[in-house]
Amino acid sequence: MTAGSIDAGLSGRDPHTPESTLDRPRDYLHAQSTLRSWFLTTDHKRIAILYLTSITLFFIIGAVAAGVVRLALVVPNGAILNNDNYNKAFTLHGVVMVWFFLIPSIPATFGNFLIPLMIGAKDLAFPKLNLTSWYIFMAGALFTMISVVLGGIDTGWTFYAPLSTAFSNTWVLPALIGVTIVGFSSILTGLNFVVTIHTMRAPGMTWFRLPIFVWTHYATSLIFLLATPVITVALILLVAERAFHVGVFDPAYGGDPVLFQHLFWFYSHPAVYIMVLPGMGVISEIVPAFAQKKLFGYKFVAYAAIGLASVTFFVWGHHMFVNGQSDLASLVFSGLSFAVAVPSAVKVYNWTATIHKGSLRLDTPMLYAMGYIGLFVLGGLTGLFLATLAINQHIHATYFVVAHFHYIMVGGTVLAFLGGLHFWWPKFTGRMYNESWGRVSALLIFIGFNVTFFPQFILGYLGMPRRYATYPAEFQLLNVLSSAGATILAAGYIFPMLYLVYSIWWGRRAPGNPWQAKGLEWETTSPPPTLNFITPPKVPNQPYDYPIKVTETGGTPA
Amino acid sequence: MNSRGAAHHDGAKVGIELAHHFETVEQQRYAATLGIWAWLLTELLLFAALFLTALILRVTHPEAVKLATGHLKFWIGAVNTVVLICSSLTMSAAIEFSRMGWQRAMVRAMLATAGLGTLFLLLKGYEYYADYEEHMMPFLSRRPYELHESPASRLFVNLYYVATSLHALHLFTGIGLLLGMTWMAAKAGFLARHQNWIEVYGLYWHFIDLVWILAFPILYVVNRGA
Repeated sequence: MTAGSIDAGLSGRDPHTPESTLDRPRDYLHAQSTLRSWFLTTDHKRIAILYLTSITLFFIIGAVAAGVVRLALVVPNGAILNNDNYNKAFTLHGVVMVWFFLIPSIPATFGNFLIPLMIGAKDLAFPKLNLTSWYIFMAGALFTMISVVLGGIDTGWTFYAPLSTAFSNTWVLPALIGVTIVGFSSILTGLNFVVTIHTMRAPGMTWFRLPIFVWTHYATSLIFLLATPVITVALILLVAERAFHVGVFDPAYGGDPVLFQHLFWFYSHPAVYIMVLPGMGVISEIVPAFAQKKLFGYKFVAYAAIGLASVTFFVWGHHMFVNGQSDLASLVFSGLSFAVAVPSAVKVYNWTATIHKGSLRLDTPMLYAMGYIGLFVLGGLTGLFLATLAINQHIHATYFVVAHFHYIMVGGTVLAFLGGLHFWWPKFTGRMYNESWGRVSALLIFIGFNVTFFPQFILGYLGMPRRYATYPAEFQLLNVLSSAGATILAAGYIFPMLYLVYSIWWGRRAPGNPWQAKGLEWETTSPPPTLNFITPPKVPNQPYDYPIKVTETGGTPA
Repeated sequence: MNSRGAAHHDGAKVGIELAHHFETVEQQRYAATLGIWAWLLTELLLFAALFLTALILRVTHPEAVKLATGHLKFWIGAVNTVVLICSSLTMSAAIEFSRMGWQRAMVRAMLATAGLGTLFLLLKGYEYYADYEEHMMPFLSRRPYELHESPASRLFVNLYYVATSLHALHLFTGIGLLLGMTWMAAKAGFLARHQNWIEVYGLYWHFIDLVWILAFPILYVVNRGA
């Protein structure tokens, strides 16, 4: 053992010799170090880090609220939280997780960081607008947090009228204004992505050479542009009604409450795909890298992203099967909802086919990706139960629905988020995290998630409605099981926060391409320089250009 | 680069200053134009939700809506339509002048546009005042609503206020932006660096005009004579 490595071992610092840095521009993290250079930056990578920090904060707030909800449901009689406080706890959880974590999560962080890198651009098309989006996001979040600090809101994340406009005695207005403002941040991010993907691609980067991650973000951005304004106007109408009695939804003012549901779900169903599509993009990058195999059916996966983003605009009525809409409308919405399963299944089959006979490495990102695929299938299939009119009557607004969308939102999006975070962490920070801790956490999250949410399918099937602080005593066992699972899940969330942060200072230095992955983002240094590439990239290849394996008999594997 | 206006008497140099993250001026121009179109698309859906609701209300409650529209000031709406169309004309002129490098004429056309926009807002304000006088503001608790026997008419009237005030807000913001940009565009060298700002802004102004062109028939005109 040489003296150098002993020294490095003693100090706990990275023993590897760094690559030559002569004549190399400084990486984006070290280009400047003042606070001003962070808060007034127009570098998409730094803005991504700003987003990553802020949404992690909101994730913690939302997760604590979830913990409180699960704690309260350990007892059936509401002894821990009374009705009012329980309503506030689950509303806080829903509002923060949906509006301030899930919707911006992958697009605003990974999308922001990676889209210019993946298409070989120096930045997004509108760097100042990108920074503005972050400030708008934080302003909206601040408004919403005001209502939390003042005493909370109890409307649920959906803000249904007339509860939100006439009957709720809580701080609804600041939250409504906050969520309206946050919508503009989404719109501007989507706009920036659409324009960037159209106009900033490197020479040779044709549409069908774009990584699927870019395709899914393109589809997501279209939803941002086309759906978000509708929720904006719905929220404006809520504010007008609550503050100025301009009645549009409350029958007492001549309004129509079902109108709110139409406007709300016209956005909020597509918003499900705002949350899901970017995660699908992440999985489509991780799976080929860890199978060292070309993504199966690239074009189908790309078209499936656009397909999902299109069909999702025509299924909003499936949230309204029991509110008195016409049977014909319900029938059409039910049929269209079944259609969503087709592009979703195309993606799942293509990931599975990519894994098939690949050279698998079960590193942390791949563990998350495998977990994602399994949980997404379960979440997707239970969606078909819900889309069936007769079954929907039975399980509408029960824990079955809660379990279903948590399988999609947590089992899907959060796992994809964590998988992507581990996959690109070396690129973001230039450091490797501890692989063993990573695998243990991925496993903990998978187990904790299933223990938490699988019992909720059974609870819902047995008839336990969502959003109640109390429940019949015979449901206690399953509820305690669910709450116990939440503690495992919490441990699984806490570990990455610790070892990832630790790695920023003490992790091994990451090479440019630690996973032997394909894609332009792996061709630059880790972390990349401010303008992303030292030499401007050209793209001569198809995406996912992994080497083709030759079998012992000399043929290529099927 | 395009320098069509250079030969003219008043012709300033016309062009775009290349930002650090673009490769060519054409790319930068394309990005800006596509960006504003994407923004207008999103804005269109903002208004579409309101217009569609109003149209559906016309189908489900034709009598109530007819009662309500009877109180709208058709002629103010019609004059305002003409005012906005004229403002789009002056805005188009400003764009054309900017392409030719006629900076002074461009600034005048932009001021005329802002003036016409302000005239619209004044007329709209007068219309709201007349509505107030006729007890057509159902959300004012101290002022009994004229058509209180007809709840559906109230929904239509409320939609009318939300849609027109949202449009007025866009116009107000638009005038503010326009005046700010006129102030910048009057400086020497503006057209050499940011000529496409005028074009991009022009699209936004035409969009505000277009929203009114949709609002006027949907709110005022449909079913008026029947």
